[in-house]
Amino acid sequence: MLQQLANGVFAGSIYALFAIGFTLVFGILRQLNLAHPAIFTGGAFVGIELATRLGLPLWALVPAVAAVGALAGVLLERVAFRPLAGRDDEHFAGLISSVAFGGILIAALQARYGTEPRSFPSGYFPNRLFEFGGISVTLMQLVTLGLALVLMLGLAWLVSSTPMGRAMRAVAENPRAAKVLGVNAGLVTSGTYALSSALGTVAGALLALNLGQADRDLGASIELIGFAVIIVGGLGSLWGAMAAGLILGIAEAMTVSYFDSTWKGLVPFALLFVILVLRPRGLFGAVKVREV
Amino acid sequence: MLSPVLTVEAVHVSYGRIDAVRDVSFEVPEGGLVTLIGANGAGKSSVLGAVSGLVRPKKGVIRLDGKDISRWPIHRRVGAGLILVPEGRQILGSLTVAENLRLGAQRRRRHAVAESDMYRLFPVLAERRALPASALSGGEQQMLAIARAMIARPRVILLDEPSMGLSPKMVDEVFTVIEKIRAQGVTVVLVEQNARRALRVADTGHVLETGALAHSGPAVELLKHPKVVEAYLGIE
Amino acid sequence: MLAGYDTLITTIALGAILAYSFHVVLMAGQLSLGQAGFASLAAYTSTLFVPDQPLFGSLSPVLIGLPVGAAVGAAAALLLGLPVLRLRGVFLAIATLAFGEMVRVFMTNAEWTNGALGLRLEKWATIDLVWLILAVLTYLFWRLGPSRTGRAFAAVREDELAAGSMGVDVVRTRMTSFMASGAIAGVYGVLFTYFFGRITPGAFDFSMTVDGLVTAVLGGYLIFFGPLLGAGFLTAVPELQEALGFDAGWIHPLLTGVLLLAVVLYLPGGLSSLAARLRPRRTPTPPQDTAVDDLRPLPEPGSTVARVRGLGKSYGAVQAVRDVDIDLASGEVLGVIGPNGAGKTTLINMLTGLEPPTAGEGDVLGVALGSRGGAHRYAQAGVSRTFQHSKLFGRLTVLDNVLVGTHVVSRGTYGRRLVWLPSARRDERRATRLAWAQLRRVGLADKAGLRPATLSYGDQRRLEIARALAAHPTLLVLDEPAAGMNHVEAAELAELIRSLAEDGITVLLIEHNVKMVVDTCTRLVVMNFGEVIAEGEPREVISDPAVIEAYLGADETGEPEYA
Repeated sequence: MLQQLANGVFAGSIYALFAIGFTLVFGILRQLNLAHPAIFTGGAFVGIELATRLGLPLWALVPAVAAVGALAGVLLERVAFRPLAGRDDEHFAGLISSVAFGGILIAALQARYGTEPRSFPSGYFPNRLFEFGGISVTLMQLVTLGLALVLMLGLAWLVSSTPMGRAMRAVAENPRAAKVLGVNAGLVTSGTYALSSALGTVAGALLALNLGQADRDLGASIELIGFAVIIVGGLGSLWGAMAAGLILGIAEAMTVSYFDSTWKGLVPFALLFVILVLRPRGLFGAVKVREV
Repeated sequence: MLSPVLTVEAVHVSYGRIDAVRDVSFEVPEGGLVTLIGANGAGKSSVLGAVSGLVRPKKGVIRLDGKDISRWPIHRRVGAGLILVPEGRQILGSLTVAENLRLGAQRRRRHAVAESDMYRLFPVLAERRALPASALSGGEQQMLAIARAMIARPRVILLDEPSMGLSPKMVDEVFTVIEKIRAQGVTVVLVEQNARRALRVADTGHVLETGALAHSGPAVELLKHPKVVEAYLGIE
Repeated sequence: MLAGYDTLITTIALGAILAYSFHVVLMAGQLSLGQAGFASLAAYTSTLFVPDQPLFGSLSPVLIGLPVGAAVGAAAALLLGLPVLRLRGVFLAIATLAFGEMVRVFMTNAEWTNGALGLRLEKWATIDLVWLILAVLTYLFWRLGPSRTGRAFAAVREDELAAGSMGVDVVRTRMTSFMASGAIAGVYGVLFTYFFGRITPGAFDFSMTVDGLVTAVLGGYLIFFGPLLGAGFLTAVPELQEALGFDAGWIHPLLTGVLLLAVVLYLPGGLSSLAARLRPRRTPTPPQDTAVDDLRPLPEPGSTVARVRGLGKSYGAVQAVRDVDIDLASGEVLGVIGPNGAGKTTLINMLTGLEPPTAGEGDVLGVALGSRGGAHRYAQAGVSRTFQHSKLFGRLTVLDNVLVGTHVVSRGTYGRRLVWLPSARRDERRATRLAWAQLRRVGLADKAGLRPATLSYGDQRRLEIARALAAHPTLLVLDEPAAGMNHVEAAELAELIRSLAEDGITVLLIEHNVKMVVDTCTRLVVMNFGEVIAEGEPREVISDPAVIEAYLGADETGEPEYA
């Protein structure tokens, strides 16, 4: 029981870290970025490559993966979103162009890494197990949870308390008003995709570290859960995504312990569905529901 | 005659194939107050959009202190002190009053005046500084929108319909503030629907009709010009 | 001849059928992604009905499965649509996706479906049958385009508010497209299952949804053969690539991605828009005679058109309109003036059903204010309007924009068009005559084939008026129709409005051009700060000192100079 709770928290922290990138882009730019799962998958492969080839230790691996992710985010914005700016069907077209960008990225990953799963070098990270009052957790799980919390709180601080964050919130509420005040909206847009993608790649690398390996379907497997997290938390709400990630992780783990494990997949969607019908702005959503 | 701080030369603005502004030119002298008047849809806001950088003109040149700024993005123009107070106020309701002001100062940190100076100029904002801006009344929001531009110590302030939707008493206050701004030596370009009031505070006026300048001249003369009276009152 | 290509050719057809289930919702502007769920439910249900033996010795038993699948798909869409269709955009997309995933998990866990392993079935769906179904679908969509229903779909896609104001029942149109999507997805599920002879829950997953959406968008959802082109293209690409000797597995997804990106960025209407571009553009030819004589007569002059009391609207703490009384008699031209932000647009939004009032009561042409149902009920009662910021249907021609306006005064033609009944053609011609008559009336007859975006501001205003007039309104509401017009154009417009009044149409005119208001209106209301500050005979009203102070601006002496 407690063990399941702990497992749920660990899974939930990865869900949240993945989903927060989704929700950041939607909250500020009103765009659902469907290339995010591919970026996430890319993060896992890049992490494996850097660990294998350069032998980067974990403390160096995470910033390196984040940097690659940020670059990918900037590229994504340039290629798939910026050319659509100002078009009537901007948000719908962006949805499709991000699907295309994600497909291209996955194809590129497949070209380089093939379809077989890739693994971290054996013994890359010490396989230590801790026991706390009957709950066993691995060192990797603790590192994952810690990192996820630090990154998410860091993001929340950035958005709420820095000039960059103030500019982001201004663009989120009213891009025109923000521009009039001298906010460089193009920079904020690029920066938002860079941040979102950096978080996505780190989440991907962390999941691969926990699993020991990655394949090209890694992102697709978490994509729908990511939707559930951002809706349950309230589209665009950072704190909501964090809380909802944990809630869904725990709810799934609990389902497994009480029902058959195959029913686990129903939980996020049932929750998402109920929330959308009863309270479309989500449990914690403060943003207004906007149309796309 | 002082040298113009802002010049607009033969500016065209179009949306798709629609010409919203055709061949508009005028100058704004340092410390002057120039007003653009005309009917809804005549292109007043489009001219301000082109000057501020919100819309990109199809043709024409805009100069600030003689420098061609036509290709500058809007944030660079704000950095140079050319600041728009947009139509409909466009305050950021989810940010506090103080955050709105800080955002206004962000791009021009070296020039910006202290927040407390703004509260002296707009006492009504001082007591509400920690509230979200959406909690302000319409008139207070307009004051905040002006304060947000003034905190950056602008070279030129562009006011787009500042009296829109305000009660007569608030309109009086807005015009008092415009005169205060002017007394501080800030150059003002004012777009107003209430043309007669605008002409009364302005030195120079320009009348726009379907995207082109129909009449220009000293404000006192325009006030008496029969064609101008017709253009904004519509009565012969 | 086609030996060896059976599967390929059928894959194209199946892909196109799936894409049609996306096409039909995209046509109506709905981003609905529940098709995998509808297909799965329909396919599994059909396995319970499809017999083991050919019908009458030779017919494919899937012929039983298809109607079952269509019905199950449509019914599932109805049940899902009731709660979720109030959502829009990504919210609708995610809710419907979640439905699809729930169906998948459910089917994986149910006993009778044999879980994830699925069921083996006979391959009853032949290549001919699949193509026959595709042909039927293509026919249905071909006939839909220029019908009243097709125009309603397009109007809802382009602008829901304007569509509702033209009398289109937006809720019903969205539900119709949603159920059609369910039915087509159901048919797809049954065919897919019986073509491959196997059903598993995993076949109806998120990637199927993405495939269908991509095919529909790539082909383009503005023209009826888009799905066919999309499916053909997407299936042909890997074939071509293999024929050229590139057989690495990653090349196919790469090509698909690049192609899709290129289409989205450079060809917003999809591949079919390219095909349409190849055809020389036809300029619509006006009919000789535009008389339509079966329109209902307008009410007697002087009878009550609208009567409201104490009307108010507040948004949170902001009171946009307060305590307004309006009486409108047939044949009147009532002008409403006031400064920007005085609440004029909010007032007419309430009178035309776009916004419910927060205070007050009354009725407009018998429709009680604040009653449920939305703007289309006001339109059906005879209210028609234009908007301050033009709300034209951007991807329709000028003529088609006006044809949408005829919605409330014509009968549905889609069903009759399917079977080529001459009466459908007569009704379409009548609507076209009605539309041309309005274009002539406002002077746009030579621009019928253009897109609204290519018109000048003045012409866009005139087009909005023509569209509103096509509904044969009792009450015409004009929101700043002269904005952006020069004096000559404004004078022409005033002339037009007077002629409409002579025809017996009641006009409610919001305008800034005081001269025009004085010249056209029989009565004038002045608003400021949400309230009516003066009312009466136009010339008297504009010399009222309070009006001059608030709106016209007094001169130094406070005396009106030019009244």
